[in-house]
Amino acid sequence: MLLGCTASSVLGQTQAEDQWWAPGSGLPMPAAARYPNPYGELGILNTAGDYPTEGHAFFEPIGSNGRACVTCHQPASAMGLSTALIQQRWRASNGNDPLFAAIDGRNCPHLPANDPEAHSLLLERGLIRIFLPWPPRDPGGNAIEPEFTIEVVRDPTGCNTHPEYGLESTEPTISVYRRPRMAANLKYVTAADFGVTPFSIKDSRPASRDPETGRLVNMNMLADAREPTLRTQAISAALTHLETGGAPSDAQLAEIIDFEMQIYAAQAQHVGAGNLEEPGGPPALGPHAMLEGETGVLGNNTTRYVFPMGDAWTSLERSGDAEADAQNEFRESVQRGHDVFFFRTFWISDSMHINNIGLGNPIKRTCSTCHGMHMTGMDTANGFVDVGSTNLPWATENEQNPWTEKKPEMPLFRLSCDNAHAPHPFFGRVIYSQDPGRALITGRCNDIGSIVMQQFRGIASRAPYLTNGSAKNLRELIDFYDRRYNIRYSEQEKIDLENFLSTL
Amino acid sequence: MMKRISAIAIATFAAGGIANAEPPPESQRNFVSCPIVRDTATVPCWLSEYEGELYYLGIQTDVSADFDPPFLGHRVLVEGTVSDRPRICGGIVLDPVVIAPILDFDASCNTILPAEDRYTVPFAPRPPGPSGGRLAFQRDPAPEEVLVPPYEPREYLLHYDFDMLIMGRHAPILGDVLDYATKIGASRIEVVGSSGATLLSDGSVMAEDTSIALERANEIAEILKSGGLGELAFAAAAATGQEEPDGVEDWRSRRAVIRVMP
Ligand code: HEC
Ligand code: HEC
Repeated sequence: MLLGCTASSVLGQTQAEDQWWAPGSGLPMPAAARYPNPYGELGILNTAGDYPTEGHAFFEPIGSNGRACVTCHQPASAMGLSTALIQQRWRASNGNDPLFAAIDGRNCPHLPANDPEAHSLLLERGLIRIFLPWPPRDPGGNAIEPEFTIEVVRDPTGCNTHPEYGLESTEPTISVYRRPRMAANLKYVTAADFGVTPFSIKDSRPASRDPETGRLVNMNMLADAREPTLRTQAISAALTHLETGGAPSDAQLAEIIDFEMQIYAAQAQHVGAGNLEEPGGPPALGPHAMLEGETGVLGNNTTRYVFPMGDAWTSLERSGDAEADAQNEFRESVQRGHDVFFFRTFWISDSMHINNIGLGNPIKRTCSTCHGMHMTGMDTANGFVDVGSTNLPWATENEQNPWTEKKPEMPLFRLSCDNAHAPHPFFGRVIYSQDPGRALITGRCNDIGSIVMQQFRGIASRAPYLTNGSAKNLRELIDFYDRRYNIRYSEQEKIDLENFLSTL
Repeated sequence: MMKRISAIAIATFAAGGIANAEPPPESQRNFVSCPIVRDTATVPCWLSEYEGELYYLGIQTDVSADFDPPFLGHRVLVEGTVSDRPRICGGIVLDPVVIAPILDFDASCNTILPAEDRYTVPFAPRPPGPSGGRLAFQRDPAPEEVLVPPYEPREYLLHYDFDMLIMGRHAPILGDVLDYATKIGASRIEVVGSSGATLLSDGSVMAEDTSIALERANEIAEILKSGGLGELAFAAAAATGQEEPDGVEDWRSRRAVIRVMP
């Protein structure tokens, strides 16, 4: 018998109607708030207390397209953006909400407005178009000479071959499609107190620095770590997503950063596990744990743990009360799921920036080898790794055969590495990728398909997963890993792991 | 990039040296072969077969180890000394041993052997999952050094895998260079790169292309410049010639030396 069904199969409830936070709504941001999701409730804490958002730069449409930061960083989606919320917004606004702006809320700006086909990547997979100059520029604005050339193999959005927006345009640009990341718990994401060294231990390249202070940063933000600080990130987000035309003022930037640093989010209530913030419960769970947790701590060890669970849920009494017993059973499943994450070994292979950093290929390790940062499950520093989410042969795409009408959804690039550098140790000189990730910033062959790990928190509120939205739900994410590393999880292990992830 | 030449031919490029047609000493095992990984009840161990004999190279630990395990999918250059220690994981123990993955793919290098009760690793400072809170070979941090003028030039040594340019394991050394150069307000940095050659147990010599010497030096200079020393004067050069390999620790010839000048 399989112990403990997954929570989503029990309830399967959808996002409650109208959770949308409209830009310029002027609603106060409460000190503590709850938002329903399919697994229960997300909790958000705002350390500044009940907080006015009127005129606030994170919440006001400060650009020309009616969007604000909050458009894509919605409290109901753990300060990210779920497809459930996107689709709800599409229906409620007939596709006219600024979220669907041509610039990056459409598969490509030249496509027709209000046509779901033209917004398919956003509607189906929650993806925003990220457009980057090619070749890349160094921090001084000088072109970097890449180690590889890029050919467009598939262009389902039409953007990469478009005369105005594509790689052959007068300002050559590459478009990739990525999920928004959480604008919460950012003290962890930006912590530079562990593992931050002037030269990366992954490849000895100089680490990025804060352009204002010269201080080293941890390079854990955005899928490709292209922005070193929250300030530079906010400027580029304003210029691109909000089409502000110029950088926000210093006062606006300060307001945005202060707000981002005061927001904590995590699952607070769970349909199967009940209250996640009970006194004496697992220390890792709930938004208060995020607020109080320590930053910059390596958790891949049995002294600190990535997600410390204590022993509250290890072996629980049964009272005969059906409801209480079901909850205890579920809690034990969550604890087992934690142990799958932390202790279940498998062979990690051909993963750039893990297998080639002195550990060997393959290594017998666990999920927490890559996801080692205390409280978030991010990497500690320089968190970009090729886990196969965007590189072939592992990246997911609609299969092609005579019996399906489905077409490939994602762009596909062929990257050919030059002979002046050592070939990629796991893929050689020719690599196919949907999103070259970090390599679009460095131009380096070894960085192709390396994507920065993002935090695991509030995960129940912001499906789909992975940077290209290729895992529709937690089970698909787990199945991705099962295929990728031939883990051969038992059905029980998969259920336990899903239950665990859904409590974070 | 790799050149394989007979030991006789070495005289043509060894810098003024005498041709060494002798094979390496008896105790040496220098060869290129597939790595093999054997699972155990704890961490995997790494082996390689040469002339019908199995050799033990090392175990999986973590980034703090001196031994960096090889890559399946690539052959590996093994440069080791046969020790008198009991076999580990079925293999004759090479110690010391230095290994380097060969850049070219070799899909035939794909052997993962299952764990067997009779093979155990005697020493596993780092379990296969989370650690106990310490790295396998954690070194205590060096005490903060008080530097007083007049400052001395200092040299830093980097060793490379075969045919490789800069690697992740060089990062702490580059960090030390940056640190010292910054603290003493260095005026100039000199980098000298070398290409290396290894005398294999079969008497042949495996030599890196000599052009990699200058590439190594230039690359380090570029990295240091963009890593915070852009204001300093740099001189990057290739060492003259290639050291003549004798089959003992020839890996030392694949190197670069960084000199920080006050
Ligand atoms: C149109 C949607 C959209 C809007 C509007 C938007 N963002 Fe984002 N945000 C994203 C996407 C997509 C990413 C991930 C991009 C990537 O990985 O390259 C992201 C990432 C981030 C991150 C990085 C989080 C992490 O952990 O890596 C921060 C911080 C952030 N946004 C802040 C802002 C701010 C501040 C604004 C307003 C100035 C803003 N965003 C407006 C879509 C948006
Ligand atoms: C080799 C390193 C590595 C290993 C091992 C690994 N991951 Fe990941 N993980 C990554 C990277 C890199 C990403 C970011 C990829 C992306 O966003 O496309 C990621 C992303 C994730 C995410 C974030 C999803 C999201 O969109 O928010 C979750 C959850 C996750 N991994 C869970 C796991 C679990 C569970 C395991 C063990 C089965 C595991 N990972 C093993 C590297 C790894």
